[in-house]
Amino acid sequence: MTGRTGLFLAYGLPDAVLAGRPADAVAAAGRAEAAGVHALLLGDRPAARPGRPAPPAAIVTASVLAVRTRRIGLVVDAAPAYHEPYNLARMVASLDHVSAGRAGWRVVTGADPEADANHRREGADPVDGRAAREAEFVPLLRDLWDTWEDGAFVHEKDTGRFIDPGRVRVLDHRGPALRVRGPLNLVRPPQGHPVVLAPADHPVLAREADVLLAGSPEAAAAADRPVLATVTPFVAGTEAGAQELHARAGAPRSDADAAVLVGDGPSVARRLLAWADRASLHGFALRFPQPEGVEAFTALALPALRAAGGLVDGHGPATLRGHLGLARPENRIVARLTAAGTERSRPR
Amino acid sequence: MRTRELHLGLMFWATGTHAAGWRHPDAVADAAYDIELIQEVSRSAERAKLDFVFLGDRLASDPALQHSNPAQISRLEPFATAAAIAAATTHIGVVVTANPTYSDPYGIARLLASLDHLSEGRAAWNLVTGADPAAALNFGRDAHWDTERRYDWAEETLAVVRRLWDAAPDPDGTGSRRIDHRGRYFSVDGPLDVARPPQGHVVVFSAGTSDRSRELGARDADVVFAGPQPTFAKRKEYYADIRARAARHGRADRVAVLPGLTPIVAPTTEEAVALHDLLNALLVLDPEREVGDIVRAGGIGEGHRRNLTSASEVFGVDVRGHDLADAVPAAVLAGVSEEGARRLAEITRLTRRTVGGPAPITYGDLVHATPAQLSHVVVGNPEEVADMIQEWFEEGAADGFNIYPAYVPGAVTAFTELVVPVLQRRGLFRKEYRGRTLRDHLGLALPPR
Ligand SMILES: Cc1cc2nc3c(=O)[nH]c(=O)nc-3n(C[C@H](O)[C@H](O)[C@H](O)COP(=O)(O)O)c2cc1C
Repeated sequence: MTGRTGLFLAYGLPDAVLAGRPADAVAAAGRAEAAGVHALLLGDRPAARPGRPAPPAAIVTASVLAVRTRRIGLVVDAAPAYHEPYNLARMVASLDHVSAGRAGWRVVTGADPEADANHRREGADPVDGRAAREAEFVPLLRDLWDTWEDGAFVHEKDTGRFIDPGRVRVLDHRGPALRVRGPLNLVRPPQGHPVVLAPADHPVLAREADVLLAGSPEAAAAADRPVLATVTPFVAGTEAGAQELHARAGAPRSDADAAVLVGDGPSVARRLLAWADRASLHGFALRFPQPEGVEAFTALALPALRAAGGLVDGHGPATLRGHLGLARPENRIVARLTAAGTERSRPR
Repeated sequence: MRTRELHLGLMFWATGTHAAGWRHPDAVADAAYDIELIQEVSRSAERAKLDFVFLGDRLASDPALQHSNPAQISRLEPFATAAAIAAATTHIGVVVTANPTYSDPYGIARLLASLDHLSEGRAAWNLVTGADPAAALNFGRDAHWDTERRYDWAEETLAVVRRLWDAAPDPDGTGSRRIDHRGRYFSVDGPLDVARPPQGHVVVFSAGTSDRSRELGARDADVVFAGPQPTFAKRKEYYADIRARAARHGRADRVAVLPGLTPIVAPTTEEAVALHDLLNALLVLDPEREVGDIVRAGGIGEGHRRNLTSASEVFGVDVRGHDLADAVPAAVLAGVSEEGARRLAEITRLTRRTVGGPAPITYGDLVHATPAQLSHVVVGNPEEVADMIQEWFEEGAADGFNIYPAYVPGAVTAFTELVVPVLQRRGLFRKEYRGRTLRDHLGLALPPR
């Protein structure tokens, strides 16, 4: 990726914070935003896990955080296996409206037997055709977001014209796995399309997404679009303190899914910068298993990253696309019609 | 038996519930995406101590409805909207429409539980099975399911959702268990991943028209949200029917029946009538066409087109080819059908214009009275509107109302600032919230696991 001036940082806040009192989650989001973090990654897995209850559904939390913050991006997880495209398209688009252009969607892929066991219904089993559904989902959601052209809602009080019917498109999508007629019941999102994040190693989605999520930086390869690598940092005022934090979290080791970094603030910042340069990374998705870990990273590593010029600063437009340096996409439906010669391109 | 209390909610449609509400000079025309305005409207409802803000929904968009029912074209998704409302308020309930026909029980259970957590016990589910055949085409189906199948499916969904809430963990992680539901339609292992909702069970509203819907409401819902009825007698019949059905299920005093109500209110009667006339004058009428052509008004209810051809059909007299501002001769109106006579009485009730009176009924009045109403409408000064509310409440026609503001935000504040104080002064409506949850407002006990 060229043109990068600093790193893009996304936080995965600890479940304990997100599952706690709403005010505490809002406060944690506010601290991350104030520190210059660009986005929050909100997990969402529709299956119980052992131990404490999971945080509320990502879309609901994200919407609360959206109206209590101003700049930080909000990325929600959702698996095509457990959602109807029409419902998910409008949820993510609505988050984009509520946040004034800060929404993202991380496409969750792959098998999850426990979640599957919560989602069987007459004539539909998430196990069947999972890959085909995943492959069809992202382009379909982009098309649904484009069913209303920019400016289609005219709201002309004097004439009584509420919409311009010439700027709305029936989609009539009929794919191998999904059929959706459209149009969506929602104005085109402020970002055109909310930012789509997908696994860097997914055979199909890696070509459809706006941003790729790699596991450990060691596993990340350069790509024609922004790549974020996944890191679990354990930071404290001293090396020994960081070791202790790491031990308390069960001493996780680096694996293909995430690199584990343990150290004081400046050393962790240095290693992140070195990694980013070596692997041409756009930034990092940082995971924090413990509440104290996130605050320590913010207090100790972020200032060191910023001092080294290693953070994209927040002067651009406060949209998630703006933070990532991504352009607002053209309307795909209009582009296809124009290419097919059935629609003369309209002056902008 | 608890003392019967009046309940009031605010039905939020960004364009207003009047088809031309968005064109009112004071209306915000693009309110659907203005989350700050939606929050502000919700806060004004909360200042008036209303029970809830209500978010309707529709899983299709029909651009052809732009003049007849623009609210039905587009809106923010209800859960995202409700969460933003919850974040801006502290007491008022937030009701989200979710249609089980096009969702799965696990997803509905966790979204509602999540909203209940983030609102700290203020969430409710408006369970609808959908009135839009077009929605089926957005969900990979060829046709809208019939009533029996939709309600069989909805009832199993509700049962699974409540089992999931009961089997969800407490905040400390204890108490959760699998449900291993193996039903006619669903197979769901559980447990729920998120904690049990603060309200135990999220409050359930149901809205529908069929016998199956009445039965579901009486047996399973906390609130029945009722559509319009042609007469006051029919309204009382409906109310008594839900009560009787609820009694058969041992829940006689546990179901509140709340019809929709559109108040067109202003400080004086004359101003209210003028406001009603202004809104109607802003309607875009349909071109004249063949008699007998009925189109869906969309979402809730069906209706005729708005033009003199349709008016002729509905009133049973030929009124085509006239200027809408002209008075209709009494001799013409003497020939109307029985249904036409009922609607003439409605016109008089709303406009105060009478057949052959000093202010005579116009052709425009006939046109505006032609489509089916989405809710009962009352036009008047604050005392007159409060009288109507009091009468329905005391005569056993309603336990309260879901208030449909004709335009946003002006009609919301007109109700909260002009009518609510009258109801409070009469001792009919609360001056303060008694508790913090929607169950508290509705007087509903916390259900045991
Ligand atoms: C007052 C009222 C409000 C309703 N609101 C909605 C709504 O927001 N979304 C929706 O899809 N259907 C809504 N419905 C439609 C019902 O879900 C139902 O499908 C419809 O009334 C047809 O009745 P039946 O299914 O009982 O035969 C509403 C119905 C009533 C009476």
